[in-house]
Amino acid sequence: MNTNSDRRSHTAPIIEINDLTVRYGDKPALNGISFDVYKNEILGIIGPAQSGKTTLLKVINRTLEFTAGTTVEGSVKLDGVDVNTVGDVYGLRRKIGMVLPLPVGLPLSIYDNVAFAPRTAGVRAKSELDEIVERCLQQAALWDEVKDRLNTLGTKLSGGQQQRLTIARALSHQPEILCLDEFSIAVDPITTMRIEDVLKELRAEMTILLVTNLVQQAKRLANRTAFMLNGDLVEIDTTDVIFSDSPGSQATYDYVNGTFG
Amino acid sequence: MSRPNPKQKFALQSIALLTLGVVSVLVWNVLKKTYLSDVQVLSVARVSDPLPNLFGDIYFFLSISFLGVLLGITCAFYLEEWLPETNWVRCLIEGQVSILSGVPSLLYGLLVVTVFLPYSGAFQRTQGFPPAGDLNTASLQVSSFQGDTTLFYIAVLTFVLLVVPRVIKATQEALRSVPIPIRESAYALGANRWQVLTKHVVPLSLPRVVAGACRAMSCALAVSALFIGIYISGYTIQPGQMSGRFALFLGAALLLSIFSSFLSQRYPLASTRHI
Repeated sequence: MNTNSDRRSHTAPIIEINDLTVRYGDKPALNGISFDVYKNEILGIIGPAQSGKTTLLKVINRTLEFTAGTTVEGSVKLDGVDVNTVGDVYGLRRKIGMVLPLPVGLPLSIYDNVAFAPRTAGVRAKSELDEIVERCLQQAALWDEVKDRLNTLGTKLSGGQQQRLTIARALSHQPEILCLDEFSIAVDPITTMRIEDVLKELRAEMTILLVTNLVQQAKRLANRTAFMLNGDLVEIDTTDVIFSDSPGSQATYDYVNGTFG
Repeated sequence: MSRPNPKQKFALQSIALLTLGVVSVLVWNVLKKTYLSDVQVLSVARVSDPLPNLFGDIYFFLSISFLGVLLGITCAFYLEEWLPETNWVRCLIEGQVSILSGVPSLLYGLLVVTVFLPYSGAFQRTQGFPPAGDLNTASLQVSSFQGDTTLFYIAVLTFVLLVVPRVIKATQEALRSVPIPIRESAYALGANRWQVLTKHVVPLSLPRVVAGACRAMSCALAVSALFIGIYISGYTIQPGQMSGRFALFLGAALLLSIFSSFLSQRYPLASTRHI
């Protein structure tokens, strides 16, 4: 980890994960992993199923506590504050945008889906909400398709459109960190490319954690990439190194080149 | 809003319970006054009819069912949304509920006739249905419950046993059927528990909750109708007024059960619904 800190010592880390261990009952999901995430980078997280990628994201925005029987040890600091002891958990979650693998359309209209988070945060003015909705839908490459039917149910959209709706929703509270959990599995390749372009632009405004099963997606987008396996952090380094012929670990090389996983 | 610490939580829960208790006592008193006077009037008019008095007053029935439904729904929300799954109160209540709600509703009627009525003294001589053809004697004998509160308590107890567990069970199932990803997404957007509950969980589960409540009331009405029917056919020579009640109860039971089926069909469990 020290090597990473040295390499990036000119920017302060926005997320500091220190010796994080998570168990579901007796079953370990994360075994004491530590790394930092820096401001305005895209960190790709790759790894086969059961490697703890989703768990990691859920620890950061503290939605893991809705799963019964989980224990979390170690610390996750966001802007220097430990998320597990933070007083205002709702405020914490507003700093983080989360996109889940399968689209979860809240059973509300398209407009209300995007306006939900600003409203819970206390934005009431119609003009302000209109502005947020339009901006977020445009960022998620959905505005042109739905601008004439903002009042229809969000769940009536197609799968790919719903996924873009969830991305728009995740952007609606202007998060500092955007967590994308395999966002592209329900989206067609063309739209995926459009969203990836958006992500590249968003990097200027926020930090992006990109969990993906498509190693090429991490290669295209990420500044740095972490490889996780069975709850361990095998390697975290710049994307160039991870995808080079000589990454730090043989397992990384094998996974990236499709020899296993 | 920060997470309440255990002390605050305990205080909040106590306040909630106290409020519920006080409200119940108040409502109970109002009900008692209203309906006991009715029971008395009916008793004076036809003292031989403890069964119709017990099963027969639709207003009494509706208000007590309404209370039962409210109590059941509140209880289910508290169990499902606030108490953790390992909480011993929750385990205890859920165990009882699954036993009570599984008992066929007819058995509650039989329980009243064979246990509650004989042992409470409502029938002093006959220990059950008044014998047919012996109505005049029976009417003299049973006159002792004139102004008695026993019938009221029996009726309330029966409806609580019959309606509340069914409502709790139906409500819990409806709440559980709200997909976890929907809750998680809403929480991830910074909503607090109350916002998630009012904006998502309640709208998604409401049709099912209403359907469950209607089905529970329908069960209770149908059993009442059954006993009134038996009474009419076997134990009274003047079925006139009771026939009207019988029809009313049966009709209401049918309507409620049809409405409940309609709701369940129109709104499947939230988890299986393409919303």
